[in-house]
Amino acid sequence: MFLALKEMRRAKVRFGMLVAAVALLVFLILFQQSLQNGLLRSFVGAIEHQTAPVLVYSVDGQKVLQASIITPDLEATIAAVDGIGRSGAIAQGSFAATVADELVDVSVIGFETEGLGSPELNAGRLPTALGEVVASDVDADAGFGVGESVLIEPGGLELTVVGLAPESQLNAGPTMFATLETYQAVLAARNPDASASVAPLPNVIGVEPAAGVTTTELVAAINATSDDLEALTREDAAQQTPGVAQVRSSFLVIFLLYGIVVPLIIGLFFLIVTFQKAGSLTLLRAIGASASRLVSSLLIQVVIVLGAGYLLGVLLYTPISRQRLGTIPLEFETKAVIVWAVLLIGLGMLASLVSARRVLRIDPIEATTGAGAGR
Amino acid sequence: MKLALRELIRRPQRFATATVILTLIALLLMFLGGLLDGLINSSTEAVSAQRGDALVFSEKSRSSFPSSRIDADQRAAYDDAFGADNVGGIGIAQFGGRLPDAGPRDLISIALFGYELAPAGVPDDPPVDGEVYADSVLEDEGVTEGMTLLLGPARVPVTVIGFVDDVNYLSQGTLWGSLTTWRTVQNANRPDDPIADGVVQSLVVRGEIANVSVDGTRMLTIDESVDALPGVKEQRGTFGQIIGVTIVIAIVVVGLFFALITVERIGLYGILKAIGARSRTLFAGVLLQAIVLTLIASVVAGVIAALLDRTIPPGAIPFDLSLGRLLTSIALLLLAAVIGSAFSLRRVLRVDPASAIGSVI
Repeated sequence: MFLALKEMRRAKVRFGMLVAAVALLVFLILFQQSLQNGLLRSFVGAIEHQTAPVLVYSVDGQKVLQASIITPDLEATIAAVDGIGRSGAIAQGSFAATVADELVDVSVIGFETEGLGSPELNAGRLPTALGEVVASDVDADAGFGVGESVLIEPGGLELTVVGLAPESQLNAGPTMFATLETYQAVLAARNPDASASVAPLPNVIGVEPAAGVTTTELVAAINATSDDLEALTREDAAQQTPGVAQVRSSFLVIFLLYGIVVPLIIGLFFLIVTFQKAGSLTLLRAIGASASRLVSSLLIQVVIVLGAGYLLGVLLYTPISRQRLGTIPLEFETKAVIVWAVLLIGLGMLASLVSARRVLRIDPIEATTGAGAGR
Repeated sequence: MKLALRELIRRPQRFATATVILTLIALLLMFLGGLLDGLINSSTEAVSAQRGDALVFSEKSRSSFPSSRIDADQRAAYDDAFGADNVGGIGIAQFGGRLPDAGPRDLISIALFGYELAPAGVPDDPPVDGEVYADSVLEDEGVTEGMTLLLGPARVPVTVIGFVDDVNYLSQGTLWGSLTTWRTVQNANRPDDPIADGVVQSLVVRGEIANVSVDGTRMLTIDESVDALPGVKEQRGTFGQIIGVTIVIAIVVVGLFFALITVERIGLYGILKAIGARSRTLFAGVLLQAIVLTLIASVVAGVIAALLDRTIPPGAIPFDLSLGRLLTSIALLLLAAVIGSAFSLRRVLRVDPASAIGSVI
């Protein structure tokens, strides 16, 4: 312990650079973990936090809410499936809106039936009247707080936020839930060619299984009824949204590469240092220092470097993790911080075993011949 | 210099681990860069290929095609300002496409563009109504010349009469047809959100744009229009920062490695200085080794990245590796190597021949 600390004190720059390298890598890994989770939440959070347990898309929509269109024929087909308890239309579109004097892109989700496409709530109430909406709580500070107004452009239709839903964004932007009646008014505000008398076609149908029927059974029953329908549970609808799998696989490759670089840097550093100290280590062995003491000294240094680097990385990450990246709100990912700590410290220790092996191979007799761990 | 190279050749194992780490960092840089290019290209090619000086959107559409709506009066105003031959309407409709003989659930994602002024690579005259040119990426999905695709739930037929390159839009293959074809497909599939005759989503204009202004519209240069596409600015900014920090890590790794190597060689440097070698020569040796290691790492990483580019199945990861990206990554790494190895300069300059020889003897 004494030896390990003393050496680190005397070579501050050398160990400092290693700690800095580990800290930067940890910062990057954690930042990207937040970015990945933030991206996924902002892509499909509104699907995960809406209330319909099963969503039925048209096959044409390819699991994209806005691209799916349920024609009256398809709606009738769904209604005829055995095992359905309740069903309700859900429509979704992207619009430009003025919020706090700024023009922003928003998604609006219209639901027909409470509990089937309406949002979960963590503040306020559900919309009931024309022009009322529930916004995502992550956008509350961006002009979407309860009581605030949003103007749909270019028509200038005024919407009022009456409630907040947890982490309910779609398409990485502000998202609002409204009744179908309000949704129709929003559509007409954007496109004057859309007749106010023609009800918008639903994008998906939210369904709830009848008593005694599971969601899986209901999904299978609907999919067996028509090749034009794609029923998905709420969780599957979120996970199978195009882009989600791509984001996951892209980040997986990045994490894998960073995960390999950290232990390699640790391993290389301590290997070189062990080579450099070969003479001293042999001498220490010759005057009675046990191999286990030298190895534990090495491992203490590895733990201190990794621990300090990790801590510094987390310190760099903490303020960043509370920022918004454009429209994507980042979060401090506690689970990722713990998992990566265990993983990187474990892998770092493993990588340092090569140096430990070198230390164990030192033969004290070589102090008299000038050879040692550096052979 | 010769000494530095000889050391690399005779004791390659000393440099092996550092080279492996640099290779991984180079691979990370190339992968991140390829990912950024893949994401950007797959979203923006159809817009960046537009041959015009500006795109016109309705003023409050946030430059988004689906939210934009240019009516006939606004179009006429632009015709007057630029001349009718220099103004062309654009409309986009995104639907699933059905291929003949494909399974009932096997659809492909398609963005149908209606155009009047052709973008780069697309024939100048739009095909007759009901016919389209297809993005060549759709060939991977099984689309062939002469094939009739059915678009949207209304299954509106369009026939492919040829292929065009590099016109992806928001990660979808595109079809290019007349404005009438676009309007027909849109209105048949979305009767609740129809497009009236004479209305388009955007205009491409050719000419001097500085002094033209039409009520209810705004003009953006092509580059501005690309940046205005959802997520493009954010992707560039975020990936740029990640690449930047990765470069800093490369600098620290190279710096750390050569600082350690230099410490190990202090005695040797002392002897070399004592027999007349200049600090400049010794540092040049360190620099040369750093550059050679970085080049080896970059070449290996480049080969791996190229293999990845070939083996990643279409649609799995938006990875697009270009020669420009490879060369930029290598240049950045070489810069990192030069800066990193400069950390050893102070130590090399401080080597005192007399004390170094004393310590060796």
